[in-house]
Amino acid sequence: MTVAATTAPTVTLEVARYHPERDERPTFERYDVPNRSEWVVLDALNYLKDHVDGTLSYRWSCRMGICGSCGIMLNGVPKLACAAFLRDYLPGPIRVEPLANFPIERDLITALDDFLEKLPEIKPWIVRSHPQPVEEGEYRQTPEELADFKQYSLCINCMLCYAACPVYQNDGDFLGPAVLALAQRYNHDSRDQGQGERQRRIWLDDATWDCTFVGECSVVCPKAVDPAGAIQQAKVESTMNWYRSLLPRFRRKRAGETM
Amino acid sequence: MTYPRQTSKTWFMTSWPYRIFMLRELSGVFLAGYTILLVLLVANVHDGANAFTDFRNTLRSPALIVFNAVAFLFALLHTVTWFQAMPKVLPLRYGREHRLALALVGVNYLILLALTAVVLVIVLV
Repeated sequence: MTVAATTAPTVTLEVARYHPERDERPTFERYDVPNRSEWVVLDALNYLKDHVDGTLSYRWSCRMGICGSCGIMLNGVPKLACAAFLRDYLPGPIRVEPLANFPIERDLITALDDFLEKLPEIKPWIVRSHPQPVEEGEYRQTPEELADFKQYSLCINCMLCYAACPVYQNDGDFLGPAVLALAQRYNHDSRDQGQGERQRRIWLDDATWDCTFVGECSVVCPKAVDPAGAIQQAKVESTMNWYRSLLPRFRRKRAGETM
Repeated sequence: MTYPRQTSKTWFMTSWPYRIFMLRELSGVFLAGYTILLVLLVANVHDGANAFTDFRNTLRSPALIVFNAVAFLFALLHTVTWFQAMPKVLPLRYGREHRLALALVGVNYLILLALTAVVLVIVLV
């Protein structure tokens, strides 16, 4: 990066615009925004909305990488707008697009219905075959047992992994990285007894076995969840479970364990 | 109304991980072809010494040598991919930390080198 780029008064954003009532297809509009070293792309978008064009639409909330709302494509790479500094993209122009692989609702806003419909299929909650009464106290867990799944529990559903996944791009039926990482999060939770129920969903072709370990989901994940690792583990566990299901002794045991 | 996303025919040329993904998909053709060669080899061995010699001469054609070289490179690509996947499939934990990934991959490469050496000794000595 040149000194001139860092000291330039403005940086250009090429922002994808799409208003369904007006546009047939998305187009790009160029905007110059102040080039401030402390600004992230979300600050620049807020500047545009406040001072240049109030009709610009995008999602955001927390500004600190917690809520997972502001996922966008920056120069073709999925990023959180609140975690991408303008100074890292100088001299520009910076191409700002809605997250790849999802239908566009308006400007930078994508429709996430597909993910939201798939998510409950893997029962992302603690399933108990024999719930423990409250008076018997909480379900205890050691730090080692927590370490077994904590990484996967950090997912903020920002959808960057789906935007980076070429398998999801080419096969919309694929459950996808975040859903499968969350399945692992609950399957590995020592308090959970729903592995059998989830297994029936995640060992199907359009779940774990569609993944060909491209690994970009883990590269773009802002919370280091590593969905690619979760899916590869789920493949091994699915295989082991399938072999176990052939054995009558294990079949009886599993039937007793889960609902 | 939402705008459905379009995929260009050259989407995979945008980054190296995607190019390698497509190469792995393409490798299936070559690895399937190599499997057919192996089956033909077994069939020719079964048919006797003359058939086997003829088959060996066929394998010496430049086209088949190029084919085998490409199939070998694709097999290497898969080997590297599998070695990369191993620490993710088998996350060895030391206490509460995930470690030992490098050691796991290293052991795999050592085993690969050792087996390669054994094969070379058998073939060349």
